[in-house]
Amino acid sequence: MFYRVRACDRSTAVGPDDGCAASCRYNSFVDPLATSLATTLAGIVGTRHVTTRAVELLVYENDGLPGYHKRPRMMVSPGTRDEAIAVVRALAAADTPFVARGAGTGLSGGALADGIVLVGMHRMRRIIAIDPVAMTATVEPGVVNATLSRAALPHGLHYAPDPSSQTACTIGGNVAENAGGPHCLKYGVTLNHVAAATVALPDGELIVLEAPRNDDIGYDLLGAFVGSEGCFGLAVDVTVRLTQNPARICTMLADFVTVDGAAEAVSAIIAAGIVPAALELIDAGTIAAVEASIYAAGYPTDAAAALIIEVDGPVAGLDDDVAAIKAICSESGARTVRTATNPAERARLWQGRKKAFGAMGRVAANLAVQDAVVPRTKLAPILRAIAEIGERHGIRVCNVFHAGDGNLHPNIPYNGDDADESARVHAACKEIMELCIAEGGTITGEHGVGLDKLPYMDALFSPDSLDAMCRLRDAFDPARRANPGKVVPVHRCREWMAAPGARK
Amino acid sequence: MTAVRPLPGSELCVHCGFCLQACPTYLTLDDENDSPRGRIVLMKALAAGTLDPADDAVGLHLDQCLGCRACETACPSGVPYGHLLEDTRAALAAHRPGTWIERLVLFTFANPAPMWVAMWFARMARAVGLSRVLLRAPGRLGVAMATLEATRRPQGSPTTANHSAPAASTPVRENVAVLTGCVMEGLLAPVNRATERVLAYNGYQLRAAPTQRCCGALHAHAGDRDTARLLARANIEAFDVSDAQYIAVNSAGCGAAMKDYAHLLADDAAWRDRATAFSARVRDVSELLAAAGPHPAQTATPGRVAVDHPCHLVHGQRLSSAPAKVLGAVHGLDSDELPDAAQCCGSAGLYSLAQPDLSRQILSPKIDGIVASGARTVVTGNPGCMMHIGAGLLRAGSDVAVRHPVELLDAAYTAQRAAPSAAIEVSR
Repeated sequence: MFYRVRACDRSTAVGPDDGCAASCRYNSFVDPLATSLATTLAGIVGTRHVTTRAVELLVYENDGLPGYHKRPRMMVSPGTRDEAIAVVRALAAADTPFVARGAGTGLSGGALADGIVLVGMHRMRRIIAIDPVAMTATVEPGVVNATLSRAALPHGLHYAPDPSSQTACTIGGNVAENAGGPHCLKYGVTLNHVAAATVALPDGELIVLEAPRNDDIGYDLLGAFVGSEGCFGLAVDVTVRLTQNPARICTMLADFVTVDGAAEAVSAIIAAGIVPAALELIDAGTIAAVEASIYAAGYPTDAAAALIIEVDGPVAGLDDDVAAIKAICSESGARTVRTATNPAERARLWQGRKKAFGAMGRVAANLAVQDAVVPRTKLAPILRAIAEIGERHGIRVCNVFHAGDGNLHPNIPYNGDDADESARVHAACKEIMELCIAEGGTITGEHGVGLDKLPYMDALFSPDSLDAMCRLRDAFDPARRANPGKVVPVHRCREWMAAPGARK
Repeated sequence: MTAVRPLPGSELCVHCGFCLQACPTYLTLDDENDSPRGRIVLMKALAAGTLDPADDAVGLHLDQCLGCRACETACPSGVPYGHLLEDTRAALAAHRPGTWIERLVLFTFANPAPMWVAMWFARMARAVGLSRVLLRAPGRLGVAMATLEATRRPQGSPTTANHSAPAASTPVRENVAVLTGCVMEGLLAPVNRATERVLAYNGYQLRAAPTQRCCGALHAHAGDRDTARLLARANIEAFDVSDAQYIAVNSAGCGAAMKDYAHLLADDAAWRDRATAFSARVRDVSELLAAAGPHPAQTATPGRVAVDHPCHLVHGQRLSSAPAKVLGAVHGLDSDELPDAAQCCGSAGLYSLAQPDLSRQILSPKIDGIVASGARTVVTGNPGCMMHIGAGLLRAGSDVAVRHPVELLDAAYTAQRAAPSAAIEVSR
């Protein structure tokens, strides 16, 4: 069977680094084959927004995932919807493959272009309209997630999916990866908040995809598009649903001396019928990095793990939930449960959590950010098993993740210059993925497959499922020019390989 | 290609991109080569010897950095971006000497006699009204004249010390010596006098440091570390003999640079310890006043005040609340931070001279925000920002005044002296 994995705020893993950035000498070499296309594209977007020089393409060699480097052939950044459509059409006319890129904060290597054209969507950052009555916003794909919520604030609204990179990542990238975030536990992922999108298909055709309403008959093509990781076309505008700001929010920090205790509390809270707005787990290694940073949030540095638990909604009944959560935490061995008493303190608790990934740079120069989903009821034994895998390979695994929906993010800081350590991290990541699959989980919760998770796809899906994915993709992009080589490992896709024009 | 050069601190960057939206040049130019993480990629490649330091494109993107360090207060990993930039510019300086005008300015600032002459001519141009007439002239001339005109203070500004003795019942505080600075003393001397008066009024004992020099910030930022170190050593010497416990600085850029002498002289065995001890004694004037809990006073000119943060105060020195404490002592003001208060105005030392177009583009939303705020006065604690924002306002036809926070406090003390009956109860 075929199903689409929930994808992206950000993901990572240690992968085979082709070492290009380190070994290449960058010079003024200009690819003669690229120049005519570059001229065409410059005619559309202006010379300043087409980059062809190797020295200036260096910064586009990776996204938020350290460890992979792919050098694009050129970078083109349209500034308007019409320019974006014209760019896609020019690329179609030149039969040139391309990769769309938002802010380059993804964590699966999804926005890397290996010798092909990178289309930067970050200049398209206009909020076209906010409709406070319909509670929707129509935006260009380069609008930054947090910027949209800020713009909606005067209407008492916000955009609910809140990936940790929300101060930098774009709505277009969120749609491509079906981004999650802490508050997706209660409010749902990007897919649940996209109402419509205008998409330039890779052949240049413009289509409007709308979310199904109750009376709709037919296929949910928007549902297929959200999370397609840039393989189905380029969104040139997106209409998203906005969510009413809750009447009351209560954010708690529970402090545990064992990871097991924290994991048990997570399961028990959900089992009690409470749906927290967010339920996050941070362990000692992550707490140490965050507390050393500018985003220090006052997390207990002597705890084995802490939970950030947020409940929100109408005032009535909220106190009951808070009392029940406190009782459950205490029963599971929490030393203390602290409640944020004002918005500033609440923001501080969240800033620490959301910037945790960036803070890991303090521990070591490189970082493997893993992303997997496991059954919530098995959190405690799986976290133990992951710690054991780390110990066996002599590496440190730091956890910070969306515990409420079982979406793990084991972070592994390591020294990329140490080949032996890198190999051990790679081996550990592979074991962690195998463990999660064996326990009935999946290989990505929100970061996407991109390049990084390709090797695990055939462990999770049968050849028939992979074939079905290829056929769906063919419906949108029969020439296979949009983000080629990502998501589906084509060497496993029989129909793909059998199709005319397949690059074998 | 150069040999491999260490770039300490660059290993902290994990390329997360959280700095992107904090960067004024990324938001203006839409190119990741002009973003903090992009420039770190370039700086790392330069250090690794895989990029040609003479390449124009590399130089352009590094030159276009304001050095505002807003990325540092956005960075969860604590990348010392300012140090990386100074390291890299120092390494590039050998391959890319600055323009003649940059070199002339740096020479002038490093040498007291040419500096005195330059400031004298500037004051003359201002006194005869040349700067007023030419402030809308095209090109760099107009920018320079508007910048100069922005330093004009209204006739009758308090210039004599009418409250330079401590207020009644004020405890005796530490000895302080004020860094008078180059532009501050040359063009904005009333700010220096105001600084001295408000410090004295709040109990600080003023000490002189007559042999002090330019702080060297401009030189360090431009990659001329030898001159920066020479000036740093001269200042350490000058202030060490002044018997001052604290070095009070009313220019955020200079304060950030002097707090960084420890880093600048870290490789100098003879000076390292003295520099570290010196840096620990440097305080922004707002820091000293906030620590004292400044005497309150009623302003004679109540109204709305927009607060802007100099980058090297809020990002460089991580001081975001001290200016508000200074203004809080001035009763009758309705002060509020600008929405983009922590974003660079585009002044950035030599930047407005070296990158006039980009500098103006970055300034533009700041000016719009000030005008929209309805404030009659903008306060910011750095001469570069005061002059750049002031120039932008003048050229936009706005009559909003730009003042240093201590000027407003000083004016309130003056008004209180003139009409003691209006004095408000000191309740601290």
